[in-house]
Amino acid sequence: MLAATKILRGTPLFGRMFGIDQNDGLEEINSWPNLMIVTSFVWLAVAGLIGLSMPLIQRFELDSDLYYLALTAHGAALAFPFGFQLMVGVGLHRNGGCSGKAVTGTLPALIYIFMNVGSALLTVAILMGFSVSLVVMYPLPVVGVETGQWSYSSLVLGFTGIGLVLIMMILLYPIQVLKMSFFGKERDDLTLNKRTLDDPGMLGMVVAALVLLVFGMPLLIVASYVLVSLYGIIPFEAITFFLEPVIFQFAFFVFAHNLMEAMAIMVISAVYGTLPLYLADGTRELYSKKLANLAIWILLITSFSSFLHHFITLFPNMPSALAYHGHIMSWGTGIGSALSIFTILATIWKHGLRMNPGVLTVLMGFALYVLDGSSAIVTSNVAWSFQLHGTMWQSGHTMTVLISMSMLWMGVLYHHYPVMTGRKLDDTLGYWWVGLFTVGAAGAALVMLAGGAAGMPRRHADWAQDGWMIYGDWTLFFGFVMAAGLFVYALNLFKSRWIDDTAFSPSAQPGPAE
Amino acid sequence: MFDALFQSGWGAYAMMLFMLIPFLCIFFYVVIRKSIIDPSPSTADKKSFKKFEYLWMGLVVFVFVTVNVASIQFMPTVITANAAASDENIFDVDVSAVSWSYDISEQTLEVGRPIRFSAKSEDTMHSFAVYHPDGRMLFTMMLMPKMDGPTSLIYTFKDPGTYTVRCLEYCGLSHHDMRDELTLVASN
Repeated sequence: MLAATKILRGTPLFGRMFGIDQNDGLEEINSWPNLMIVTSFVWLAVAGLIGLSMPLIQRFELDSDLYYLALTAHGAALAFPFGFQLMVGVGLHRNGGCSGKAVTGTLPALIYIFMNVGSALLTVAILMGFSVSLVVMYPLPVVGVETGQWSYSSLVLGFTGIGLVLIMMILLYPIQVLKMSFFGKERDDLTLNKRTLDDPGMLGMVVAALVLLVFGMPLLIVASYVLVSLYGIIPFEAITFFLEPVIFQFAFFVFAHNLMEAMAIMVISAVYGTLPLYLADGTRELYSKKLANLAIWILLITSFSSFLHHFITLFPNMPSALAYHGHIMSWGTGIGSALSIFTILATIWKHGLRMNPGVLTVLMGFALYVLDGSSAIVTSNVAWSFQLHGTMWQSGHTMTVLISMSMLWMGVLYHHYPVMTGRKLDDTLGYWWVGLFTVGAAGAALVMLAGGAAGMPRRHADWAQDGWMIYGDWTLFFGFVMAAGLFVYALNLFKSRWIDDTAFSPSAQPGPAE
Repeated sequence: MFDALFQSGWGAYAMMLFMLIPFLCIFFYVVIRKSIIDPSPSTADKKSFKKFEYLWMGLVVFVFVTVNVASIQFMPTVITANAAASDENIFDVDVSAVSWSYDISEQTLEVGRPIRFSAKSEDTMHSFAVYHPDGRMLFTMMLMPKMDGPTSLIYTFKDPGTYTVRCLEYCGLSHHDMRDELTLVASN
């Protein structure tokens, strides 16, 4: 029995939702992915509760320090140990089933440990007062120590946690994907649906891994030097180049922006892989593989330098030519997305659709992804960027991109769930989940974007300052709707029934894993 | 008409909805039609799909190009370059930002006269965002410490009144208190 299976067995509540069926012979592609997914949902529960607390802190005019603590903890938990880990879990299961390679050995264990220990250390640092927001805002972490806002030990602990998470995302995970895609022995007993790299459902996964490896390397180097200096191994004077705010900021956003793009490419790839399985005529074919692959390549080419739109308002310190380049490339990603939209709709129109909560989740996640894309390209326009940068528009965009991608993955997970656990889900609850979560996420996105349009600042502890509380109240309302959706999703997982025994309920009797 | 579109956050919101609403209409029509009303495979031939493919991509490219070309004259970078190249009598205002306050060289300014704001940060990331008395944000400038020169922009105010300055880059535990004011008076 694999270590991950043992951990799942010993995990109350969440572990029962993703128990491993040891009779189906698929433990080697299910065990670590299931554990990662379970752990990502624990982080989601934490992030969700903290997220709901943010408007409440503002509404009841509680301590502003508490708001900034919640802001940092919510963003950090949602983006990395939830969003990214969910993607890694579902993605590695998919990769294993498509390539016939086991997800076992040291590397998956290290991926799991680095992500969760790193996130836990960062969380402890945040609880110690290390309130630097999701994007670190360098040199704020250092300035915060100098001005007595938080302690040096919280800074060291926080950066250690961030370092572990970065090693996982930039090195360990991409190496695991490349290893499974190009090396190792293929096993027929693990192959669920053979795919090669000319399949858009597989191509995006490998491209995304390469993007993380290449565009994350500058940040990993810079962050490593900073961390080593924080530990006192190298004097700060020896690494002044890496301590320059502009160096850190550009290295950070080259990675952070491309991380989101890599996740988007990977999730679009998963949509291309999942949608054909639900076509009414059973053809299992996209409208055009060529068009689907072209969309992925356009997304890749346009996205890697579009990160420059983060610095448009730094003019003229960032030359306007680079701002225009970032602007044009950002709208170029819209061309890739337009091709994806056409491919998906033409596929449905050509072959018909067999509706199911899983594929509906994927489609609603895709609609949210397009909503987010529209907001993203608008704010990348140089004229609008000067009126939207730093406002709630950006928070709405960040939240929506994470939510939409998570929703897409949760749809893919819905599809894979029977194979991953040997259990099936209730479709009525499934439709309730999709409806509630879509309404909540779309509502929250539109409200936050409206707040940004009205000039409401992001990462700001005083929404009452200029009448922005109304946007906070509506965000809270839609947050509760999203939470209700997630509750239904969790309930569905908990009530899942063994496929061979429709009378079985995990809450009523022990399953084979026990 | 373009002023309202490109010089306000609500213009950006309208543009987002302009792109989003038609997509959602088509998206839900296709999904509902082909999953509930008539899930049978389409009888349309390959040529018809190709025709729609070119039409769709042509429409997207047309909208993208039109919107962005129309926005050029409203880009603060372009406005600044044009004002700097003209013979206009530009008034210089230097701004220094430090956690959590601003040092602004001149806070009473004239309506109608181009103002060049040159702003620097002394410690961490800050911004210099100016809000109209009616609450609209007019522009924001990102201030990064240790840069060779200041972040700079030329802006001509149209209305007299008290304008609020805010920091929009999270800069620590009193970030929300980092505020100041500019007073715009009618030109002599």
